[in-house]
Amino acid sequence: MKKTDKIQEENPFKVPANYFEELNRKIISSTVEKGDEIRKPGLYLKMRPFLAVAASIALLAILSYAGIRLFSSRNEALSLSSIPFEEYTESILEEIDILTLEENVLLLENPSAEPQTEKKDIIDYLLLENIDINEIQDQL
Amino acid sequence: MDQNKPDSDILNLLETDMNKGFRLVVDRYSTRLYWHIRRLVILHEDADDALQNTFVNAWRNISQFRSESSIYTWLYAIATNEALSLINKRTRNSAVSLDDLGAWFSNSREGSTWFDGDEAQLQLQNAILKLPEKQRIVFNMKYFEDMTYEDMSIILKTSVGALKASYHHAVKKIENILTGI
Repeated sequence: MKKTDKIQEENPFKVPANYFEELNRKIISSTVEKGDEIRKPGLYLKMRPFLAVAASIALLAILSYAGIRLFSSRNEALSLSSIPFEEYTESILEEIDILTLEENVLLLENPSAEPQTEKKDIIDYLLLENIDINEIQDQL
Repeated sequence: MDQNKPDSDILNLLETDMNKGFRLVVDRYSTRLYWHIRRLVILHEDADDALQNTFVNAWRNISQFRSESSIYTWLYAIATNEALSLINKRTRNSAVSLDDLGAWFSNSREGSTWFDGDEAQLQLQNAILKLPEKQRIVFNMKYFEDMTYEDMSIILKTSVGALKASYHHAVKKIENILTGI
């Protein structure tokens, strides 16, 4: 390419006087001096690494909490029979009425025992509930 | 031509002080990028616009720039895209055709103001303008800027082999135009 070799070094294009002296100032004023207003990323992108860390910590905390809950409820179920009788009754005293409590106590003392109810007691209860005496006799 | 090493000072400065780092980017690359764009768009005003847009885009995205890549190729890629989008816009909107630079430079005041090359240079520029767009970019980058095919490959996202073939075809075409074949 001999014909073009000799003109490779020469630049035929011209620029206005002092163009390059002014050029950098012009570029800086439309970029750096405008600050962050035209620059990506916005607040979200800037904060993204921190948000990612926060999300990871939150996820870890949730998983840990769920794990602890799961583990402790299992322990509770497994060790229920080993809880002393007094402690068990105290813990549920405020939540159930006294009759239910008595039933629970009986079950704790003798888990295989079933509650025994006299026929007379059942008739009394049904009469209190205004059930007809003839119907009660038919059923019993 | 290893263009990566000289940018380590820019990368360090960008890490510690974005504003100072970007000022250094502008100092180092504004003139080179201007000539890169100017050879593609020919007109000074267009080159000035495209260069401003190049640095505005670079500033907007400087936070996302990955330091493992080169500032040099990153800026050239932005500048090339800006030049091409400006050429496409001009093709659609402008009444001025730059297909024949000689006629345009001699017949317009603007043309005669911004070009003072001799006849051989004018013929070369006219021949370059007759190349397909991609070949024109490759020819300018290789012939005038002596850029490596590896850097061009990163900037233009084209394989080295394809770029070599493109440059070879461009040289052949220009030789044919200049010798009147």
